[in-house]
Amino acid sequence: MPVGVFVQTMVDGIMLGGVLSLAAAGFSLIFGVMSVVSLAHGAMVVIGAYLAYTSWSLMGIDPLFMIPCIMLVMFVFGYCIQRTIIQWAVERSSLVASLLVTFGLALVLRNTLDLIFSPDVRSVSPPYAFMNFGIGSISFDVVRLIGLAASLCMLIFLAILLNRTGFGRKIRATAQQPFAAEICGINVAHIHGLTYGVGTAFAGVAGVIIGIVMPFSPNAEGHWTLNAFVVVVLGGVGSPTGALLGGLLLGLIETFTARFIGPSLTNAMMFLILVLMLLFRPQGILGHAFGESR
Amino acid sequence: MNTEAPNRNSMLPFIWISAVGLLIFLIAPLVVSMFMVRVLQLFFLSVGLAVSWSILGGFSGYWSFGHTLFIGVGAFVGGNLASALGSDWSPLGILFTCMTAGGVASALLALILAYPLLRLRGIYFAIAMLGLAELMSELASNIDVVGGAMGLMTPDIVPEKLNPAVFYYYLFLVMGVIILLIAARIKYSRFGYGLTSIREDEDTAKMLGVPTERYKITAMVISCGLVGILGVLYGFSLGYFTAPSVFRVDFSLNMILHNLIGGIGTLMGPIIGAGIMIFLTQVVLGNLLNLHVMITGLLVIIIVLLAPAGILGTVKKRIQTRRLEKKPKVFDDE
Repeated sequence: MPVGVFVQTMVDGIMLGGVLSLAAAGFSLIFGVMSVVSLAHGAMVVIGAYLAYTSWSLMGIDPLFMIPCIMLVMFVFGYCIQRTIIQWAVERSSLVASLLVTFGLALVLRNTLDLIFSPDVRSVSPPYAFMNFGIGSISFDVVRLIGLAASLCMLIFLAILLNRTGFGRKIRATAQQPFAAEICGINVAHIHGLTYGVGTAFAGVAGVIIGIVMPFSPNAEGHWTLNAFVVVVLGGVGSPTGALLGGLLLGLIETFTARFIGPSLTNAMMFLILVLMLLFRPQGILGHAFGESR
Repeated sequence: MNTEAPNRNSMLPFIWISAVGLLIFLIAPLVVSMFMVRVLQLFFLSVGLAVSWSILGGFSGYWSFGHTLFIGVGAFVGGNLASALGSDWSPLGILFTCMTAGGVASALLALILAYPLLRLRGIYFAIAMLGLAELMSELASNIDVVGGAMGLMTPDIVPEKLNPAVFYYYLFLVMGVIILLIAARIKYSRFGYGLTSIREDEDTAKMLGVPTERYKITAMVISCGLVGILGVLYGFSLGYFTAPSVFRVDFSLNMILHNLIGGIGTLMGPIIGAGIMIFLTQVVLGNLLNLHVMITGLLVIIIVLLAPAGILGTVKKRIQTRRLEKKPKVFDDE
């Protein structure tokens, strides 16, 4: 095997993996804190991409500058969804019900996007979208490199938020022992809402970056939800580090499969690894970030 | 929860209603329009699928999100076998051989998958099944021998003077009734009670001596085998199909949805759920195709929030509380 091809595949894999990690980080946080599998996560990612598309095509603002704004919108949206639909479903029936309502939500959101933006495939192409440069025989896409850098920054931001702030401490306490946290005076329902908001906000940011890096359509939401799940199953639940590790691994798996086995088999490989991981190490490589008590 | 076996007297009106209903459905194709025949055909397919799903998901609480896997396996085994058998077989011979083969293949696959998969619980089992269904779909599309990408033609097995829609209507009707009878037989047997105990509390059931492992695997094999047979039929009724047209996520989800709307773990629930959903999506909203997905989604949310036990479950609860209110207070005589 020529070394150049191998290194190039590796570089591509890592750059793809950065984006995949970010797209899964919010899902991982929500899953880790509330044990809710949010099947609407992919839809949130796609909404982020469409918000970026709107700001780019209508106002001509570079989507990267819109990130704080989009995060805020998605945060509020996520908080409202959690405090109404998801919380009610969990209280009235069971945790599995959250799987169903979020799935229903995903269908509604996808259909809404279909109606507003049409089911066509779109992409956001800022001026740097088609630039690339080479070091030796290895070429780097500028836009993917920006995507990787932005993803890493956001993941570090999330890690600091979780581990270094009072808000993060509340989230971690709620994740470990909701009941004990409630006794200590934490408003658990509120924290759950905020956590879902943060998760959704990160999905939105991931959507912005995905919008710049690759084409998207409303129907991609299922793909991004599954991607998030695979990343979490690979890396482990709850921590940004787990998401990063899982995302990078998945990126490498996808590019290596596409390069050396066959481009049409990437999904098959992804699901094979998902099933094998579930069977042999369901807690992921890094384990459950909040899992001491479980 | 009502676990007592129904005695014959209390079942009598129910049996009469079923018999009359069955009779109506037997005559229906002669009376109603072709469009309605097709809608009803879809209804019986959905009932068969939802009840089969319920044997694993409803009775034992292991919610599979990927049961379409076995529709696909059945359809592809049936389709490939049919073209291998050639033309010197009689049409019905082909049909029944393929149905048996598809059912057996699905059941065997389920048997292999069951042991490792049923160790996962709750969400993990659901997602593993979802992943497996996708994996199978990708494999069927990418392995040339299977023919998922090119598509398979199934031989024309419809008797000459019969309209295909009517022919498949009766086939799906018969399969639906058979599956319902199997499910009823299971539900009120020792095996069925074992499955219910697994759903309510698996660890306790195991501790009390219920052979949970064996029961779960049996339930999954039966459930998947039946779905496989329906898959063969569905493949034949399509006439030509590719991997995406039988490995359809919406099949998996509709099985859950129909159970959920009617009432999980009940026998009549899937029928009510399938009836409501098919009527709503095909007849009422037939012209609003671009809103189908949204309405399905909204319905899921509304049902989970307003009637988490499904229509039958909610009605049952109402009746039970009413009975409790009527009862004279026993401990009030001091």
